Parts: sequence; structure tokens; C-alpha cells
Amino acid sequence: MSQSSEQVMQVKSVSKRFPGVQALDNVDFEVRGGEVHGLVGENGAGKSTLIKILMGVHQMDSGAMYIDGNQVHIHNPLDARSMGLNAVYQDVVIAPELSVGENFFIGKMPTGPLGNIDWKNVFARSAETLHGLGIDINPRARIIDLSPGEQAMVTIAKIVRDEARFVIFDEPTARLTTEETDKLFELIGRLKEQNLGVIYISHRLEEIFEICDTVTVLRDGHYIGTHPIAEVDEDKLISMMVGRNIEEMYDIEHVEPGDVVLDVSGLTREPTFRDVSFELRRGEVLGFFGLVGSGRTEVLRAIFGADPYDAGEVRVLDRRIPAKRPTQAMAYGVGLVPEERKLQGLAMPLSVKTNINVAAYGDISPFGVVQARRETERSVRLVEELNIRTPSVDQVIENLSGGNQQKVAIAKWLCRDADILLLDEPTTGVDVGAKVEIYRLIEALIQRGKTVVLCSSYLPEVIGLADRILVMAEGEITGEVMSQDADEELLLRLASKIQTDEVGMR
Amino acid sequence: MSTSEAAQPTRIDEESPAGGTRAKLLKRFPITTELTLLVINVVIIVAMALLTDTFLSTYNIGNIFRQASVIGIVAISSTLVIISAGIDLSVGSVTGLSAMAVAVLMSEARVNMAMWPAILISMVAATAVGVYHGFIIYEVRLPPFIATLGSMFVLRGIIKLISGAQTIAHLPEKYTDFSRLDLLGVPALVLVWLLTAAIIHYILRYTRFGRNVYVIGSSEEVARLSGIRMRLNIYGIYILAAFLCALAGVLLTARLSSAVPTIGQGYELTAIAAAVIGGASLSGARGSVLGTVLGTLLMSLITNAGIHLEIDPFLMQSITGALLTIAVVIDMMRQR
Repeated sequence: MSQSSEQVMQVKSVSKRFPGVQALDNVDFEVRGGEVHGLVGENGAGKSTLIKILMGVHQMDSGAMYIDGNQVHIHNPLDARSMGLNAVYQDVVIAPELSVGENFFIGKMPTGPLGNIDWKNVFARSAETLHGLGIDINPRARIIDLSPGEQAMVTIAKIVRDEARFVIFDEPTARLTTEETDKLFELIGRLKEQNLGVIYISHRLEEIFEICDTVTVLRDGHYIGTHPIAEVDEDKLISMMVGRNIEEMYDIEHVEPGDVVLDVSGLTREPTFRDVSFELRRGEVLGFFGLVGSGRTEVLRAIFGADPYDAGEVRVLDRRIPAKRPTQAMAYGVGLVPEERKLQGLAMPLSVKTNINVAAYGDISPFGVVQARRETERSVRLVEELNIRTPSVDQVIENLSGGNQQKVAIAKWLCRDADILLLDEPTTGVDVGAKVEIYRLIEALIQRGKTVVLCSSYLPEVIGLADRILVMAEGEITGEVMSQDADEELLLRLASKIQTDEVGMR
Repeated sequence: MSTSEAAQPTRIDEESPAGGTRAKLLKRFPITTELTLLVINVVIIVAMALLTDTFLSTYNIGNIFRQASVIGIVAISSTLVIISAGIDLSVGSVTGLSAMAVAVLMSEARVNMAMWPAILISMVAATAVGVYHGFIIYEVRLPPFIATLGSMFVLRGIIKLISGAQTIAHLPEKYTDFSRLDLLGVPALVLVWLLTAAIIHYILRYTRFGRNVYVIGSSEEVARLSGIRMRLNIYGIYILAAFLCALAGVLLTARLSSAVPTIGQGYELTAIAAAVIGGASLSGARGSVLGTVLGTLLMSLITNAGIHLEIDPFLMQSITGALLTIAVVIDMMRQR
């Protein structure tokens, strides 16, 4: 522990090329004992490649690696482990049928005088390790009887026992509940106290902010920068990850709003929302902001005919759409991309092709028989246009990433050539790169003469993308703000209905 | 130059012994439920041909198919409903209703009606049950399980009422001969089964209605928000399902030359079993007619094999049940 201040692992100018792709290009990285170092970047940024090089799974093409200032060469995972480098992967790899204690002592069981295994010793020493890390698990429990979170804890404890000095966490929370995640973070805190160097990889930026001391960003195999966590905020990190600043991310080319295409007046469904009235002009992006429970989702659903309403009317191009019938709203060119993608937006077990065509089979089914060739053509065209990453249009939706799923949910309406798109939280559960693509898509839509209602609880997105913003609170519209006049404080005030004169007016 | 460099290692990678060729083969011939079932069917046939002298005769093979044909049609009906994430427990009773009605109408001792009108009336009556199911499930929002469980008992009662709880026999030969008819060496019953399978396969694969059934099966809300007309499609599914049972009932009485009051009883579970063995998922959106046809055939094969191996029929029933469990477990593991 005396040399603790010198405990450091560094890689310098690491490059790695795979056939057809430069996975890492001159990347520098270092982690010190007693530090939690976040490693972030989009998919394909090179995080996994870097980790695999550290762990000896891949060999670097050029560059050098140092531990405590001495150059080291890691040829295979055993080398890495002997130098105190260890990784906790997404799926835990320990012997599931054995007990926690047995897992700790695999290959080095303490034995008694007759060569018998000294079980008492095994479990006592295991309990000591677990206790020392504040983990409340019986060392006699079998691994398969533990929850994924407990299994992760045991893996970490084993690594600590094996005298690791640097521990890599690769998306450790993907399978954990919130409670388990909290426990994991506590444990990581203890590792830090014991002067281990922790490398932490996660898609969830809020986790990075919660537990990391330092963060390094990679993009397209390049080293972008390293900062103490206190010096960056989420926007800064995102802009480093996507390579443009936040303003540019939301910077879409707006079009001059045209005639009124959608006119909602006096829409009411007690007790969820009342007297909701607004107009929507062709080419507009209308932001719809409100906190959870404000009724915004319900209003969108009512406009689309997904749910009934008590009073009021919805007109498209001055013709009234009958309530309660999605088919009617669709006939008038309205499309809804619902909030719950997996439950309401997409048929998860079915193919990309079916999901893209599902709202528009009528056009390609003379006498009810689907023209398979056109079905495929249309889906292939939209997959290309929207840059949906899928091995084929026959791929099952479940296997796509969140961002690509969302693009399919939007493609479904483009396939029908819908004119008015109601997007309800289109970027939840979507990684940053796909978010930007969805923003570009919104831009492309309005350029093509479509009109978009963007319902979102993420303020920068609403302020950045919309021409005009409607704010809802407790089922009522509490304000309308042009985007140039909008700031977060004003919108939040309207959304929480604490602006006294607004309340007074009603 | 640089492109060839990039392409070459990739190719080497794919053909590397550790799973590369296997992955390639799997891509070309994916191990589908249908393929697995086909292999199992063939293995049983080959094994039985080697184990016994009696199994591999034209007569016996024809018999296996003939016995599978009626329940095969009922299983297709169940498959349709299961893909839509519904369940139909009344298929045995609907089949029974059609089977008993046609017997009562044709029987000299009872109504003594001509063959075609009798068939028509029986089938319309049984198909009407599908309209009722559409109503009670779509309009009244009763879960399909409960709705069809009720129908199962109601219809069984009606079957006993119209038959006076008696066996109706002595039916016109013109009608019963159909089950012994061969066309090009293939039993007519089997042809009807396979033709029905082909038609429903086509409907599920190539029509808008078929696409809708899968989408509804994956989520009703997704279907509704995609503009699928739920009323039309739910009625459609249950009416088509009932129609298939109606057809099966008419064939069943012809094959048995008589109708007992318990006719078709227990078919619902056999049919669901065949569909599930064939890869249908009770949570919807998965299943195929081909799988169900092979599943039905497998069950018929095993029953027949049991007879030829002189295994106790009671034991055979247990074996069939175990088979169902194993088939589903294997399929689940394969999915993971």
C-alpha cells in the first residue's frame, strides 16, 4: 500500500486494425489506483477493442502498455490476470453449479492432513472476503441460486481475492435492477478505497456521473479527450461522443409553416385532459412538453383515435375526423409513433419487413393477397433511406437496437406516406447516435412537406427542435412558447403550473 | 489491392474450423421447428420399418395418414387461433356438432335428408359458432379461454340433445364411402386435409388477413394502432376456425360411418398439442401450418408405432404426453 500513489496502468498510442476497419487509432488511456475511470463512446467507438487489448484477447498492432511505469507485454488473458488485470463482463463467467466458496478457491483448495478439502477453512475465508466487501451472501450458496446482481457481486469478490489491481466493468448494470445497481456502486466505492483502479464502461451516462472520477471519450477509434468528471456535463460528453456540439445536434433546417393542417379544439376527456385546443401548420415541428402525468400522451392518443374523448373535435384540412378510430385518422394522413415502443408501436416477434408494411398492406394487397415483391421492395427502400441497421428485412424486431427499432416505428408511417406524424417520446431508450439520426429524420420529414408533433419530456430536445412549444400540466395547456423565446426555466415553470398569473387566468 | 487485402482475411475467418462452416450451413439451412420435426418423423418411420415387418405397408402408411387427417384439420383450426394469441377449447365440440348434425339429418330413422343439404346445414350451423365466438370475444371482451370453454360444454349438451344421447348409425353409403375413396392411390380424406393445409398456409403466408393474424398475435394494441380492423379480423379468425372444424366433423362421421354422442371429445387438447409440437406459441405470433401438419403426423405415427410394438395403450397415452412436454422444452431451448 506504500507504493499506492504510483499504482497506474497506461497505454500509449495504441492502434489496432481489423480487416476493413481501423478499430483503434493512436489511443492513449490511463487509470490510477483509487480512481474510477469512465470509458464512453458510441457503439463502434473502440471501447471493447481497447478492453480486449488490455485483457490480452487481442494484440495491439502498435503502441505500448505500462504498469507502474514499467513496460509490459500482454500476450493472452493469463498474462493479464497475472499482472492484476481483471474484467467483469456482462455475462458472469464462474462455475454456476458450485458454491460461492468453491468458486473462490477453484484450483487452490486448502487441504487437510489426509488430502481432504478443508471446507471449514474454505467457507470461513470466503465469508471473510465477502464481509470485507460488505457483501451479504452466504458462501455456501450455489451460484445459480443467486440473482444476477448477487452473481456479479461474487464475481467481483473473486477478482478481489485473486489480487486484482485493475478491474474493468463492461456494462455491468445491463442485467441488474435499480437496487442491485446501487449495491454494485457501493462495492465499486469499496474497491476504490482499497486502491484498485476501476475502468467503468456504460451506455448510461447518468451512471458515469454517479460513480466516475474521470472520464475518457472515444469516437470512431480515436481518442477524443479525458476530463475530471466535475469539469464536464452531459451535453459536453454527448457532443464529444457524437463529434458535434449540442446546438448543432438539434440544429435542423426548419421550413416556413404553411396552412393549418390539424385543428384541435376543446378536446376533453375527464379527468385526464380538458379543453385542449391548438392548430398545427404544414411543415411545423410542434413541441409538446409536459411532465409525466400531464396528459400529453393521452391527448396525442385521442387525436389519433386510439382512445375516446368526451368533447371537442379534431379536424384535418378542415374535415372532421371521427373519434375512436385509428383507421379514420390514418385515412386522413395522421400517424402515431406511440410512447411504449415495445407494447404499442412494434410487433416485436415479427420481421422488420412486416413492421414497416403493417399499416400499409392495403396498397399492395389487391383482393387481399399481399404482393410479396413490393412488400420487400418497400421495406428495403425504407431501411436504406432511414439507415436502419439490420442484417436483412427478415430480421426479427426484437434483435435490433432501440434506435433502429424506433426508426422502424417511424418507417411504418413513411411507408403509408402519412402527412402528420405524432411522435411520442421518440428518443427514449435510444443511444446518442441514433438520437441524432432521428433528429435528422424529423428534418427530412418537414423538408418533404410533412408536419410533426414532437412530444418529449427531454427539454433540450423540445427547445432545440420545435418551432413552437405547447406546455401541458394537469391535463391543460398552460402555455404556448415560440422556440426562440423558450428556455428550460420558463417551460418547467409552465409545466409545473407554478406561474401564478397563468393559474389565475384559468 | 487494398480491397483484396481486406476481403481475404474475412474469408479465412469464416472458414476457420471453429464453427465457421457450421454457422454458414446454419444460415443456408436454418434448423427450424419444421425441419426438426420432419427429421424426427423420418427417423421414426425408418426405425419402425426396421423393427417390425408389419409397419411399412401401403395399407398401414395410408392408415396413419387417414387417421391423422380429421384431427389434422382441427389442429390447423387451432393453429390459426393460437397464432392470433387466442385459444379455442371448443374445437372438439364444434367438430362434434357438425359430425352429429350431419348424421342426424341424413339418418333414415331421423330426418332422412339428402346428402348435400345435410352437409350444408351441418356446416353452416357449426360455422355459426364462430360468429358467436367473434361476438363474445370482440364485442363482449370475454377472454377466448373462457368464451370457448363455455361453448365446449354448451355444444356438447346440444350434441347429446339432438342425438338423444344415442349413437346414430346406418348412414347412406354414398356418404360413408367417401372415406374409403382413393384418388391416384391417395385416400380422399388425406387429400382434403392436405388441400386444406395448403389453402390455410397460403392465407397465413400470402394474404393481408394472414399478416394481420400474426400482428394481432404479437400485440392487439400494436395491431389496432396500425389500423388493422380488429372487428373484421377477430370475427374472421373465429369463423374460419369454426368452418375448419365443421369440415372436419363432416369427414369424421363419414370415416366412422356413425356418430356417437362423445364424437370429437378431447380433440381440443390433441389439436393444441399438435399445433404446439409444430412450433406454435401460446403467447401468439408464432406457428405455421406446415409445423402443425408435421406435428399431427408425429402424434399419429407414435400412436401407430405403439400398436405395432404392442405397447399398452394406456402407457402410450403417457408417452404421447411426455412427448408433448419434451417437444416444447426442446423448442424453447432452441429459441434461446
